[in-house]
Formats: sequence, structure tokens, C-alpha cells
Amino acid sequence: MLVLAFLTVYPMAMLLYGSLHSTPPGMAGEYNFDGYASLATAENLQALINTAALSLVKTVLSLALAILLAWIVARTDTPGRGVLEILITLPFFIPPILTATAWAMLGNAQVGTINLAWRWLTGTDGTLVDVYSYGGIVWHMMQYSTPFIFLFVVDAFRAMDPSLEESSRMSGATRWQTFWRITFGLMLPVTTSAFILSFIRGMESFESAVFFGTPVGIKVLTTQIFDMITQRAQPDYQGATAMGFATMALMFLLLVLQSRLLRGRSFTTVTGKAYAPSVTRLGGLRWVTFSICVLFFALAVALPVGQLILSSFFQFFGFYQLDMLTFEHYRSVWENREFWTAFGNTLLLGFLGATATMILGGIVAYITTRTAWHGRRLIDILAWLPWMMPGMVLGIGFLWGFATLPHEIPIYGTLWALLLAYVALGTPVAVRVTSGAYAQIARDIEECSRVHGANWWQTMGRILVALAWPAFAVGWVLIFFGIMRELSASILLYVPDTTVLSVVMLKLWNSGKPETVSVIGLVMLAMVLLFRWVQLRFIKRRISTL
Amino acid sequence: MPTVTLSGVGRHFGALKAVDSVDLAIKHGEFVTLLGPSGCGKTTTLRMVAGLERNDTGSIAIGGRMVSDAASELFVPPDHRKLGMVFQSYAIWPHMTVFDNVAYPLSVRHVAKAEIKAKVTAALKLVEMEAYAERPAPALSGGQQQRVAIARALVFEPEVLLLDEPLSNLDARLRAQMGDEFRALQRRLKITTLYVTHDQEEAMALSDRVVVMDKGKALQVGAPEDVYRRPASRAVAAFFGTPNFIEAKVTACRANGTDHVLTIEGAGTEGDCRAGDAYRPGDAVLVMIRPEDVTLGAAGHLSWAGTVVDGVFRGPRRTLTVESTVGGQARRFTVECPATRAASVGDAVTLSVESDNAWALRS
Repeated sequence: MLVLAFLTVYPMAMLLYGSLHSTPPGMAGEYNFDGYASLATAENLQALINTAALSLVKTVLSLALAILLAWIVARTDTPGRGVLEILITLPFFIPPILTATAWAMLGNAQVGTINLAWRWLTGTDGTLVDVYSYGGIVWHMMQYSTPFIFLFVVDAFRAMDPSLEESSRMSGATRWQTFWRITFGLMLPVTTSAFILSFIRGMESFESAVFFGTPVGIKVLTTQIFDMITQRAQPDYQGATAMGFATMALMFLLLVLQSRLLRGRSFTTVTGKAYAPSVTRLGGLRWVTFSICVLFFALAVALPVGQLILSSFFQFFGFYQLDMLTFEHYRSVWENREFWTAFGNTLLLGFLGATATMILGGIVAYITTRTAWHGRRLIDILAWLPWMMPGMVLGIGFLWGFATLPHEIPIYGTLWALLLAYVALGTPVAVRVTSGAYAQIARDIEECSRVHGANWWQTMGRILVALAWPAFAVGWVLIFFGIMRELSASILLYVPDTTVLSVVMLKLWNSGKPETVSVIGLVMLAMVLLFRWVQLRFIKRRISTL
Repeated sequence: MPTVTLSGVGRHFGALKAVDSVDLAIKHGEFVTLLGPSGCGKTTTLRMVAGLERNDTGSIAIGGRMVSDAASELFVPPDHRKLGMVFQSYAIWPHMTVFDNVAYPLSVRHVAKAEIKAKVTAALKLVEMEAYAERPAPALSGGQQQRVAIARALVFEPEVLLLDEPLSNLDARLRAQMGDEFRALQRRLKITTLYVTHDQEEAMALSDRVVVMDKGKALQVGAPEDVYRRPASRAVAAFFGTPNFIEAKVTACRANGTDHVLTIEGAGTEGDCRAGDAYRPGDAVLVMIRPEDVTLGAAGHLSWAGTVVDGVFRGPRRTLTVESTVGGQARRFTVECPATRAASVGDAVTLSVESDNAWALRS
């Protein structure tokens, strides 16, 4: 309880405190509303509109694409659906910073690989794509959010009782009527919930905008906060914090909206029974649907990864001649002390953070789902709070929080700072995954164990944990992935000794070393693939929760 | 006329014949039940009639119109077959109200609003659910969901009604009540009905005719009493209750109407029994005797002396196990008698059976 409060309420309170405090953290100052007053500028209004519009557009597009892909994978006889599903969901696990660097090299208007290839093919000197644009930001966000929504809706498609659709056909409805009035109608709650979550995620997104928006002056809320703290001669902590608090309030409103919309509309079509979903025979069309899936994988994974491999071997990206081939970048990364520090930190934080988060999440979920304790609703809400805090905002909250702690507790500047932030960010996911698993374990199973002579601890260990461990493992891996790709909180809380891979990538990118970034990106990708493989190979449970 | 005709209908999953060449003709207004253990192919047969699955062999005609023919690759999709169906899970759409659920078959056919209102109200009245029209569907009990499912299946006056184990999700008391109500409704509307169940009592109480299925084949088709009292094979006989089977030899055979009367010996007794087919003297037969047809004491046509080895009190009746020595071997009989007949373990009894109640099968 205290731990949770420290992880969630404390940074929020410090956010409010900081937004009213006129000087940077740790210094004496006075309290005023200057921070909020300074927000009311045309530039910030534009940033807010940009944020909302970009997120809305990408969510609508991702949703349409994700539903199409989920339908193809779950309900048609498209060849190779099992493999396609793994390929389609892969971008969800790849850190956005990695695809961002790759697409910056692919879609650069002057020297992007796609444009070079286009000119070579057509003989013109036109430009096919330019990722430094609104379209580029939307496209990059889509690569992450499409599999995110896909994971949400694919099980809803799959686990639906087929007789609900069959009875519609028996009632005289055509296939098309059945899809709209029954299938889609039944999926509306899960679709709405995926839509709002994805929209919130879009508003919190930092990588896409900092890579493709900042260079051409497209501003969003997160980049504005980042800009105020790190890119100015005189960091404007008060303004940034005020903005963070305002953003959080906005997220809160969205979450309230979500729970309003979904009240009493969560139909349990997933009854725990295993159904064999009815499969639509597509005939020749199944190769079209197959191509759609492959095309998505090619654009979201194969192309960016190919670009990283390509540029990691050439002296300068954009100049692909044989005499420019080199291993120089691999050697420089190998000899780079900063890289090794970051690599070690990322792994250490990943293991410790994921473990700590799952333990905390497991306890919280147990208290909220299995006990009758009065404070359990409060704990549930506490664990949910970080969900509405973008990493950037939580980062500022902790920045203030650590700076105001007494000097005997030196957290700022140590790995503890990052660890605490990661645990706070991961807790909502951990609670969701484990409480979902607990809910599936009937209370009788626990009671039966007690009746047969096991004490509470034996029951916990031999029944509950033994049954729920696949969910723990899934949650652990999800949180590990989350920590590996985390950038927006890390960039505010790191110091040179506690740097992590994503931060190193962004710094090297900004100092103009895209080739070195490619090498580090490939190292990260190898780690992602390794963990994903382990997850699929050894934990054959679906990730149905998030 | 809404009849249903299946000829040579089969469904194969690889080498497994889930349904193996089933022939069946259902007359107008008839109530026919497919009865069999789970996995016998009864539900698959129903789903092929519905058009939810394709038959790999044979053809299906509804109301004289061919709806599926494997040979000519003709296949009418389910929405063009004009059927009503009640699913085992009821398949009530949880995102609609009771009214919307029942109105659905009409609204997808673009029926005018006023007519929908009238017909849905009439259908709900039929199943006594008119008070629940505006309830959201998830707020219904199992029995209520079942009524809504029936109203939905009947609302557009289908030619044929299909039911897939509609009573299996209800508790015993409700099951009997809904079964009776349903039978009365079917008689009143005279709607051709194909019903699937694994419950023998349900099948016999509801149907005009029963199709006993096992391993994809239709073993016997007939009126419930025929199938029960005059089974065509040991498998059909054994499907209803726990009959006693006794091996015997035929010494004489004479025709009696459509049946035959056999004189048998060698089963520790001598006497007459009935059979569907003619036998020659010396043929081996298996004589089926239902436990409830065995009486204690009074000398009947076929009789055995034995000792009671077990007795179970079941309320209205008592089940006895009686051991008798037949040809040097101990043989056990299961006997159902009124609970008031006090025969305790160890008592010596005489078992007897009327010759009309002993049915010979080919062994």
C-alpha cells in the first residue's frame, strides 16, 4: 500500500507542487500560477490540436486495419494464419525508437532509400515519400498501434460463440448483415475500449513526434514538455510541469469517458469454453488476404530492419557503393563504453524491473480480486493511476519527487530512479494480467486445497501460483519489453552513469551518427526476437490481456 | 408441403465418417427426433439440414425443393432455406433486447415496422414472454432464454423447425415442463420439426418418430414404442435402459400377423417369445427382457428360480439383482418392481415373463 502510494500518488502530488513552484526542483522559490498562465499560448494550442488530431487519425486508420487483419487471421481460411499472426504482432514488441530511426533513413525526402530506389526505377528525381510530415508521424505510430489493437480484437473474434452468428444466418440474414448486426455489434465494447486506449497511447507518444515532427516544426504535447526542460538555455521546469499536470488531467477525462461509454455494455461472449470459430472460405481471394498480411509485415518490420542492416554496413547511409562497405560501425559500438554501460543497465533494469513489477502486481491483484478487505478498491485505483500518466509526465513527477526527498535518500542519479519509474509505469499492466489469471481460477480450487489440509501459504504456492504462472511469465515478458522500449521517462531521469539503450540511440541520432544507431538498433532487435521466441516457445498462452 | 427428405446424406472428416449415408423422410407436421450418444453424428446431420455444414454425399430437399446436392454441387445457404432453429446455447444475442432478438428474422427481411411489432408481440405471447419484451437479453434466466429462442425461431413462420438439444441446459424439473409445453405448441402449430437429443426419455415423450443413431449411421427409425419394445438390434435395445439378454436356441417358429412367435429352449427355461424375423429351428437368438417386464412369484410363460443378491430402493420402484443358475452358470437378472414388493437380499424368488414381453434378436 505504501509502496504503491509512493509509486503513484507521490509523483502526482509532486507534479501539482512543481507546477506551482517558480524555481527548478530542489531550490527555494515561491508559489504562483505562472506555470499555468504561460501555457496559454498559440503555440501550445497548436500542439494540443496536433496531438489530438494525429492520435485520432492514426487510431481510426489502425483500428480499421487491425480489424481487417484480425478477421483475416481468426475467421478465414487464409494460408499460414498461425505464422501470419506472429508476424503481424511482432511490431508491437519492437521498440518504436528502432523503427523511427529506420524510417527516418527509409523515407528521408533527399537521401531516403525508398526515394533513391524510386528515382533509380523511374529515372526521375521526384520524391515518393517524406516521413518528416504529419503523414510520416501517423504512419510510424500506426506500426505500433495496429498490432496493439489487433491483440485486443483478435481473441474477441476467435472466442465468440459461433452459434450467435449461425442463428443469425438461420434467421435469414445474409453474411454481410450478420457481420454488421451481430459480429460487429458484439465486438463493439472491446472495439471501443481498444479505440480509446489506443487514442490515449497516441497522445502519450513521444518517439514518432520527436523524430519526424520536431525537425519540421510539428509540435505535440510531449515534445513541448521535452523541449521546455532539455532544449532551452533556461529550463522552464514550472511550465513543463504545469503542462504535464494538464496533460494528465486530459487523460483522466478520457478514461472517465471510456468507463461511461462502456458501462454495462461488456457482454461476456468469451465464456471460457473453447469454440471452434466458423471459418469463411475465401476461395481465390485468400491469396489477396494473405498478401495484405504479408504486406503489413513487410512495411512494419522487414523494410525497417532491412534498412538497419543496410546502413550498419556502409560508411554513410544514403551512399550505397561497394567501396563504402565497412565494419567500422560495429567496431566503434564494440569499443564504445557508453554503449556497454547502457546495455548492462537496460538488461539489469529489465530483469529487476519486470520481476519487481510482477511481484507487486501479483500482490495487488490478489488483494483486489480475492480478499474482502475494505481498502481493496482504493488499491485498485492506485495501481491504475500510472495508466493516465504519459512516461514523460511521470518522469517529471519523479524528478520533482526525488529532488525534494531528504539528502539521506539519494535516489536521483542512481538506477533506483529509473527502476522506480519503470515499476510505476508497468504496474497497471501487471495488475491486469495477473487479475485476469486469478479470475479464471475458481475459488473452489483454492477452498478445496484448504479443506484437504493445505495451509494458506501452501495453497498460494502449490495451487494459485502454480496455475497462474503462465500469466506471470507473459506479464513479465510484456513488462520487460516495455522497459526496453521506454524512452520518454528515461530521458528525463537518466544521468551519464545510468543511461539506457533507447536514450543512447536518441543521443547518437541527434549527434548525426545514424549508422552507429543502426548497429545498436540491431542489437536491441536481436534481444527482442530472442525474448519473443522464448515467450512463444515456452509460454504457449495467448496474450489476451493487453 | 414442408417435408424434409434426406437421401444418402453423409459428412466425412478425412477417413472418419461423421455421418454415413443417412436416409430419412419427414412428413408434413411430423415431429422427428435424432437420438444417440454424443459424437454419433446427430448434430452434424441437423446442421447439414440447416445449411451450416455441407454434406459430402447425398442430397437434402426441404418442402420438395432441393437445397443441397453433393453430386451437382448445389448448395443453398442457410439464410435462403426458410428454417427456424433453436441452438443448444440458445444463442440469444447479448447486445439486443428480447424484442430486438425476436424481431431480427423479420427485420433482416425488411418487413414493415408495424407488421414486425404485431408479429413479435404474437410470438412472445405464444411463449408467454410478452412482459419481458424490453428486457436486455443477458438479464434472462435459462428457461426464459429458451422461450425467447423458440419465439425467434417461430416468428417468421418457418417451414421447418430445427432444435439442437434445446432442453439440455435446463434443470430436470424445468426440462420436463418445457418439453411438455413445447410438444403442445408443436401440435397446435402443426410445424414440421427435427429435434436432436441424447436423452431417451425426452425423445420418446416428444416424438412421432425416433431415429436412433450410432457412429454416423441411422440404426432404426420408428415410433417411440416400436423402437423401445421391438428394437432391430442389440445396440438399439441397449441404448434404452439396461435390458437383460439371454442366449437361447429356437425349436419352432410360426408367423403371427406381421410378427413371429418363436419357441425357445436352453436358457434354463422353455417357452415362447416374439421376434420380427422368421427363424429356423436350431438358430441361436438373443432374447431381450426389459427389467420392468419381469414379475416376481406368479408363474408366467418363461420363468427362472433365483436368489436376490442386491436391492436398491429408488422411491417409486425398487431395482433388484437376482442370481439364477442357468445351465450350470450363474446369471444375473436386473428386475424393476414396485417399491412395495419387499424382497430382501438372500430371499429365494421365481422370476417370470409374459411371452409377449420377450423379444428375440439375432445373436
